[in-house]
Formats: sequence, structure tokens, C-alpha cells
Amino acid sequence: MQKQSETKNSWSSRSIGGDWQHRAFYLAIRLGGRKAAYGMLYFVVAWYVLFSSLARNRASYYLARRFPDSSGLARLRHCYLLILEFGKVLVDRAVVGILGPKSFAVCLDGREELLKLRDENRGLILMTAHVGCWQLAMSALGFLQRPVNMLMRREDGDIDRHYYEHAGIPCPYQIIDPTGYLGGTLEMLGALKQGQIVSVMGDRQFGSDKSSARVDFLGGQVAVPFSAYKLASVTGAPIVVFFSSKAGPKSYRLQLAKVIRVPQLKGRSAETFAPFAQQFADELEDFSHRYPYQFYNFYNLWSSQQAQTEPTDEES
Amino acid sequence: MDIKEKLKQVLIEELNLEDVTPEEIGDDDQLFGEGLGLDSLDAVELVVVVQKHFGVEIKDMEEGRPALQSISTLAAFIEAKQKG
Repeated sequence: MQKQSETKNSWSSRSIGGDWQHRAFYLAIRLGGRKAAYGMLYFVVAWYVLFSSLARNRASYYLARRFPDSSGLARLRHCYLLILEFGKVLVDRAVVGILGPKSFAVCLDGREELLKLRDENRGLILMTAHVGCWQLAMSALGFLQRPVNMLMRREDGDIDRHYYEHAGIPCPYQIIDPTGYLGGTLEMLGALKQGQIVSVMGDRQFGSDKSSARVDFLGGQVAVPFSAYKLASVTGAPIVVFFSSKAGPKSYRLQLAKVIRVPQLKGRSAETFAPFAQQFADELEDFSHRYPYQFYNFYNLWSSQQAQTEPTDEES
Repeated sequence: MDIKEKLKQVLIEELNLEDVTPEEIGDDDQLFGEGLGLDSLDAVELVVVVQKHFGVEIKDMEEGRPALQSISTLAAFIEAKQKG
């Protein structure tokens, strides 16, 4: 008989900042707007980078891969810029919720191609990663005029708010919990069969390591989930890889990076779907080269023992 | 061959269940988690298998969740759909 292997994730969506710190930023936004919050952010990030070994450690996994030749002050600078950009994303997300969506312009590359893919009526798998501000990016996809189902896990104790929570509006997406019944796969399958959009993160593994494939990324191997590729194989839905990036103080860019077509494949092994996951990883690596400070996975993706490590308190 | 027996056979074949015989699968054993130990990806495959071998489509979670509990529930679902 088969035995299901449940594993713990090595990441967590919980913030390293306290509730009062988040509230201080929200207050700054209400009183002085984005610039006031950014002003605070420069000092707060500097404090964390200088005095929090936890913050530095969590940034170090990615920075060591992305900037392998840097050390000392240069590494500290990279760390500061990475956490600063991440902080800006969190501020921007709150700004959209508190001050409204017109606070930012979102430029979309690939609109026509997305419409063509939608019109194939096989459903659409939007695959992104923890880069840029994916929440803002999602808000720019309303033109597709299809229900959006988002595979999203939120930890107990995650105090950071999404933009719609700031705005006090209902969540615009149907949330599918990857730790729910059968990992949400039946819900995703049902949505795709109805021609809807399913949005997934291609860079983080949830739950069982049976559902992950190892791919090359920034000079090492990382485990990424392959359920989406299996769903694409079953339904014929195209996988649209897209990434958002902060393009300016008040603007974001949403780019369609690649369309992955998965043919009907028999079986469910990681090896079967690894070549498709590798295509995604290649695009993500390319993104990290173009936007080195907009990659926000603050844990050791490259650990071969990833599944056995304890969860960390970390921001999504 | 009745639906339950055929289900057990195609499950073993299509999901590559190693070292499992149809006799070892109880009609009321849970398919997922405890019992047969299938997982979320197997669920996707199972939906495909049911459509391929029985011509029955499991459209969504509302249909799938009660149907995919055990061989008995799945067989009952298939039978009802085929009659309907």
C-alpha cells in the first residue's frame, strides 16, 4: 500500500515584525501617504539589517546564490536593498487598500496573448512567484472577465493584511487552501473545467514532498510543486507564467514571461513533470537577474533537507 | 465484472499501486489518507481514470468529495451517472 508522506514547510507566512509595527506603517500611510511610510521604512530596514541576525540570515540564502562573490559590506548593502524593496512592496500593498487602487499604475505586457489564451476555453493557470507585488498584479487582470481562484495558504498569526482587507471589501478571489481537502486539487480541476482562472505560486511547495520536483535554480537544486503541471496535462489548460515588478515609485509592471503547454502525460511522477517545472524555474532565474532585489523567498530553498526543517517566522 | 471490481483493477493499473491486489482493497476503505493512502495528485488522476473507463465526469468538488470517499461511494456515483 502507498503511504502518504506529510511534511512541514520550511517557510511561513508570518511576519517577523510585530502587530504594532504594522499598525505604525498603516497610520503613516493614512496620515502622510506612501512617502511618509517609505520615510519610516528606510530607518526600520536599516535597524533590522544592522541589529537583527534573523533578518540577515533569512535574506542570506538567496543573496549567497544571487551574489556569490559578495561579502562584508557589499553583502550588507545587498541585504539592505532586498529588505527595503520588500518593505516597499508591503507598503504599496497597504497603500492600495487604504488609499485606493488608483494610487498605482499597473502596466501589463501580453494582454492580447492572455485574451487569446482565455478564449481557448480550457481554463487558464496563472503561475507566478513571490516576486514583485503579485497581489497588485492580480488586481490588473480584471479584463479577463473570468472568476479567479487563488491557491493561497495563510498561517495562523499572519498579521500582514492584503489590500482588500485594508479596503474593507470582500476578497475578489475564490481562495483555495492548499492544505485543505486533497490539497485543493479537485477545486482547481473543477474551476479549470469551467473555463475559470486558477492562480498558483510556482516557487513554493506545500505539504507532501511527493508533489514536488527538483529543478535547477541559481546554481543549485530547489524543490517546486508540480501539481499545476499535472492539472494542465489533464485539462489542456495553458500555464501562463507571469511576474510583477516594481517599475517606479508609483508603478508596477506585469509581464507575461512564458506560456507552458503540458501535453497529456500518463503517470504522476516528479520526473514526468520536472522538465516543465524547469521551464518555470528558468524564467524565475531570469527575473532574479533582471530584478535582483524583488525576489522574496526568505528561507533556504536550496536545502536538500528542506522538508525536514522546522518552520520559520517569515513574511510571504 | 461489476463496477467495484473494475474500479479496483483500473485503480491499481492506472495509479501504479505497487504490491496491492484487488482483494486487498476493501469496498469501504478510505481512498485518501488512511486506508489506500492516495494523495491529491492521485485524485486528479482518479478523475481522469473514471472518465476514461466509465465515461463519467466528476465536474467539481461538490460531486467529487462525496464520490471519492471509497470504492463503494465511487461505484454508486458512477452507477447513478450512467443511469441518469
